Amino acid sequence: MSSTAATAVRYVGQSVKRLEDPRLVTGHGRYVDDIMLAGMLHVAFGRSDLARAAITRLDTSAAEALEGVHAVYTAANLNHHNDSLRSSLHPPETPAPPANMLADGDVRFVGDPYVMVVAESRYIAEDALDLVDVEFEPLDPVVDYEVAADSDTLVHPELGSNLAHDLKVPNPAQREVFAEAAHVITETWHQHRQTNVPMETRGMVASWQPHAGVMEVWASTQSPHELQHIGARVLGTGEHKVVVHFGDVGGGFGQKIFLGREDMAVLVAAKLLAVPLKWIEDRRENLLASNHARTEQMTVSMALDADGHFLAADVDQLEDDGAFPLGGPASPGAMATMLYPGPYRMGPVSWRARTVYTNTCGRGAYRGPWQMESVAREQMIDRVAREMGIDPLELRRRNVLRPDDLPYLVSTGLTYESTISPDKTLEQAAEMIGYDEFRAEQSKERERGRYLGLGIALYIEPTSMGMGALGTESAMLRVEVDGHVNLFMGTGSHGQSLETTMAQLVADELGVRPEDVTLHQGHGSGYGFGTGGSRSAVIAGGAARAAASGVRDKVVAIAAHLMEASADDLEVADGVVSVKGTPTASMTLAQVAATAYKDSDALPPGTEAGLEHTARYKAPPAVHSNACHICTCELDPGTGQVTLLRYVVSEDCGVLINPMVVDGQIAGGVAQGIGGVLYEHCVYDESGNPLASTFLDYLLPTAAEMPDLECGHVVVPSDTPGGHKGTGEGGAIGAPPAVFNAVADALAPFGVYPNRQPLDPDTVLGLIASAGN
Amino acid sequence: MKPAPFQYHAPETVADAVGLLAEHGDGAKPLAGGQSLVPMLAMRLTRFDHIVDLNRVSEMFGVTADNGGVRIGAMTRQAAVEHDGTIAERVPLLHLATPHIGHFQIRNRGTIGGSVAHADPASEYPAVMLALDGTAEIASTSGTREVPASEYFESTFMTALAPDELLVGLRFAAWEQPAGFAFDEIARRSGDFALAGAAVGIGIDEAGRIDRAAVGMLGVGPTPLRAASVEAALMGLAAADAGADAAEIGRLAADDMDPIGDIHASEEYRRRAGSTLVGRVLGDALAQLTTEASDG
Amino acid sequence: MADAIPVSVTVNNRTRRGLVEPRLTLADFLREQALCTGVHLACEHGVCGSCTVLMDGEAVRSCLLFAVQADGSRITTVEGLAPDEQTLHPVQEAFRDCHGLQCGFCTPGFIISVAAFLEANPNPTDDEIRHGIAGNLCRCTGYQGIVAATRQAAAALREEQP
Ligand SMILES: Cc1cc2nc3c(=O)[nH]c(=O)nc-3n(C[C@H](O)[C@H](O)[C@H](O)COP(=O)(O)OP(=O)(O)OC[C@H]3O[C@@H](n4cnc5c(N)ncnc54)[C@H](O)[C@@H]3O)c2cc1C
Ligand code: FES
Ligand code: FES
Repeated sequence: MSSTAATAVRYVGQSVKRLEDPRLVTGHGRYVDDIMLAGMLHVAFGRSDLARAAITRLDTSAAEALEGVHAVYTAANLNHHNDSLRSSLHPPETPAPPANMLADGDVRFVGDPYVMVVAESRYIAEDALDLVDVEFEPLDPVVDYEVAADSDTLVHPELGSNLAHDLKVPNPAQREVFAEAAHVITETWHQHRQTNVPMETRGMVASWQPHAGVMEVWASTQSPHELQHIGARVLGTGEHKVVVHFGDVGGGFGQKIFLGREDMAVLVAAKLLAVPLKWIEDRRENLLASNHARTEQMTVSMALDADGHFLAADVDQLEDDGAFPLGGPASPGAMATMLYPGPYRMGPVSWRARTVYTNTCGRGAYRGPWQMESVAREQMIDRVAREMGIDPLELRRRNVLRPDDLPYLVSTGLTYESTISPDKTLEQAAEMIGYDEFRAEQSKERERGRYLGLGIALYIEPTSMGMGALGTESAMLRVEVDGHVNLFMGTGSHGQSLETTMAQLVADELGVRPEDVTLHQGHGSGYGFGTGGSRSAVIAGGAARAAASGVRDKVVAIAAHLMEASADDLEVADGVVSVKGTPTASMTLAQVAATAYKDSDALPPGTEAGLEHTARYKAPPAVHSNACHICTCELDPGTGQVTLLRYVVSEDCGVLINPMVVDGQIAGGVAQGIGGVLYEHCVYDESGNPLASTFLDYLLPTAAEMPDLECGHVVVPSDTPGGHKGTGEGGAIGAPPAVFNAVADALAPFGVYPNRQPLDPDTVLGLIASAGN
Repeated sequence: MKPAPFQYHAPETVADAVGLLAEHGDGAKPLAGGQSLVPMLAMRLTRFDHIVDLNRVSEMFGVTADNGGVRIGAMTRQAAVEHDGTIAERVPLLHLATPHIGHFQIRNRGTIGGSVAHADPASEYPAVMLALDGTAEIASTSGTREVPASEYFESTFMTALAPDELLVGLRFAAWEQPAGFAFDEIARRSGDFALAGAAVGIGIDEAGRIDRAAVGMLGVGPTPLRAASVEAALMGLAAADAGADAAEIGRLAADDMDPIGDIHASEEYRRRAGSTLVGRVLGDALAQLTTEASDG
Repeated sequence: MADAIPVSVTVNNRTRRGLVEPRLTLADFLREQALCTGVHLACEHGVCGSCTVLMDGEAVRSCLLFAVQADGSRITTVEGLAPDEQTLHPVQEAFRDCHGLQCGFCTPGFIISVAAFLEANPNPTDDEIRHGIAGNLCRCTGYQGIVAATRQAAAALREEQP
């Protein structure tokens, strides 16, 4: 199905086997918990089990007296080292909850850390936590985000309100259209609380070198430079004094972009004690207190003409930031509302986005943090289709953006480039699933009492966003004396395969094999925001290409001089420079490098010795990719259980660097979306108690719940170098509405229509039962 | 997530094991496969000063033919139960239920005695034991006693076992008459504890009429339960007739349930879906009898 | 604190002697004393399968065993699966070929589980594979590559031992 444009490239476009795998499949990866330093001590945090309470007594003397305990910290002896945790994405002037490392005087969600123990082992540290003498005076919490804005109870009294953001952008044109339209349909869509759940939890090892005044850090992070940057601020030192080693990272999905309060506490304590400290979050902490996501609702009204053409929309988003949003009180809500129009001619749009604080775990970035736009829009389109009696595929066909519409200025202010292809992915996915055949089978099976459903989701994903700290990445490329290529980048690959894909880009650009290129991340590379936001292929890739091309020019110039040939006649491939058509006239890259370093007098006059180049790539405002997901399901009306039957994705991420890796990114995101709609739920009870605190309660889908996934590729190259577009988050954007729509379709014969997730068996059976009444 | 400290004991005989339990009283806990106990220790939901590891008590392992039925040592791994030929032949319900317990790695360590001692109401073995009128063999320093399943399960996670007692074995009688057996459950994901499940055995007399009906249920009450209304409705029916009405008869099970809701499913769900499931499993068990009859 | 107990465990064919506190889990023993850091901990309560090792040939959760219980047993971790430094075990090879891993954190546990699963069922159907590996969780791959890798490894192992 793939149709990569034919170019002279050798490795880009190939499913090159991953360079990171030999160490990972043999157990020789190096994750943060694998770092063991002499004299290292272990950290454990004591956390609130009440959603909101005053701390009326906190006595740590018994804990301190336990053998093997080295220190016990509370707000009283740690927080005066507080400094802002603010990430580079958030301007200092935005009001934010107090950035306390440890809860000071009161706790504000279940999981709020109020004490930190440092001991000889994690076992002893947990023993000491049991000895902390703490008393709480429980206070009424704000748990329900739907009423938080109007509550007299304040999550953060310092801020004077539970409303973190309220952005309103009315559009008079929208009102006019609504007044005249043949149909205006309204619905509120709810998305429930979920969490990232990287298999490796958060963690850090910090080792202070007193004489050098240097903090050495190993961390599970997506963004080693943000860690260095913020770590330096927290420690009150220069960035050159914070050395961040980047090893293997066991997933993040947004959770490890920003530093948490615990990270900051570990850094500060490591300096105070001048002993290496290790903190490895356990799974319960990760589920309760790292970050949660989604937890939002979008009320949408859409105006249509009699033929089902979209005319205008009004969008109102409300989301829950929890108590301490990870990375600061950023709101994806505005982005979600602005993106609501998606890949359609939507007409004028009015929007509002509100974010509130509650006494629950803070919100954080989770793969496609703004994806509520696709959830609400795609579910709304199916709803509209049913109400108007139009087939949902047909309704999308009538409104989807086509090449003639491009470039397209969206009413909310975004611009889509001419390189998007939503109409093509829609058609490809419909063909892959066999749309008409399925509809025929579906109605036949319904007569036999089998309930099948099909759901479509079509979306545009803004990737590689070029603003602020996100806008650039750098690459430093050096060919070593033996011809091997070392590449230093500001990325933070944690499953995205950058060691391989960046090597493929460099291999083609420079003329070596991918295995001749080694990617180094973290210490020694130049500032970059790291890996997240579907930005690495375009932005980091752009930098890697530019660095490689700079070195290539020099390689060719030196080789031309040494071989007495014209630079134009030379080609470089697989580490050999040769005269085109005369392969015998050649020299290896190692020979060129040896000359560059060790025999500089032999270089062309005026050529600087050495073989290296640094480049920085600045991204355009955004590069949009797009995709269409279609899945089919069967519903058991006796038990409410949903089985997914088939799942197809047609996507356009421009030129694929490594198709195997692209398909893998999609599959992972799809699994998270399926999990979100059918299985995963961070449940809180009314008093703010989280009830899903283990892996027996927070249900990640297993292989048995996943359908086979088929991927198709439409390739419209972007205008960026290489023609790539980002793709990391898309799976998790398209899957929730596709799955939701499939289940809703299977439920249609009962005359019921869900408007909230999760669609667990209980909910589904309840809907069916409600139809009977 | 690390357990609190404890003293470790590894007795090699039942006598030594019960001696340790008697000596340390409430402060001691037997450790079987550890697949339920160790997570609770790791999360510090519970703690004991003395852990009495049963894994070296060889006399507690193994399956023996017993009076036409079987005796299963409490420490017999779930995986061994799953693959044992005598069990498959004489107590097919145990064989059918076992693959529903967790995953194969869990069954490699988890024991039948541990399941029955732990008595999770959503567990498979307790429901099978109750349906089949199995017997628990219980030892302590004062000797051995036998407790029938009907008296063994007291409430959620509570059984007839006293803290100083050890479950040493389970006994199951084989059925004499032609019989059909079926097991199934509803779980959120593959391998999860059941939201509702049913273990059904149906026996018929020479005339093809049902003369024994055993319907055990899991996940729908504070303990495993028998669906007495279903069993009563089945007695005396011709298997083929019962098969035709299985869904309807199964629905009677709703009255025999006493479900508790949790984050995975409400009380209402367990009752509704559970009784649907009872009907389906009943249908499966009856289908074996009718196909067997038509085959023969 | 409880007294430390001497244990002797054969880990990847090498005998490791150590003194362990009774509560030390086998997983922590393998990671910290035997330095088999390929044994990963992603839940420590028996659900995720990341810590799976072979104990006397059978796949078990090493977070649910205490090191004292492993005294006298033979343990194989992912580090001990490949025949030598140059060669990967067919299951490891298949995971690489089929993109059965992304971040790699779940991978050691999966590889051990798949090896044990295929030993018991050398010729599984896709459905058997999906249920057979359901005791291990992966958050990155959507299992697509892992199922394909299990299929490939099954074929490779069948060829090895006809
Ligand atoms: C991921 C996962 C999934 C699971 N899924 C299921 C499932 O679907 N269905 C299911 O039934 N179980 C499931 N389990 C639990 C598993 O089956 C346990 O093995 C079982 O419940 C307890 O058996 P055990 O041998 O491991 O006992 P242990 O965990 O060692 O002990 C459990 C309790 O029983 C007591 N005990 C054990 N043996 C004796 C004895 N002989 N005499 C007196 N007391 C004793 C112990 O003191 C302890 O209180 C799952 C476990 C995990 C980790
Ligand atoms: S760490 Fe052992 S099963 Fe998760
Ligand atoms: S590869 Fe990351 S969890 Fe499986």
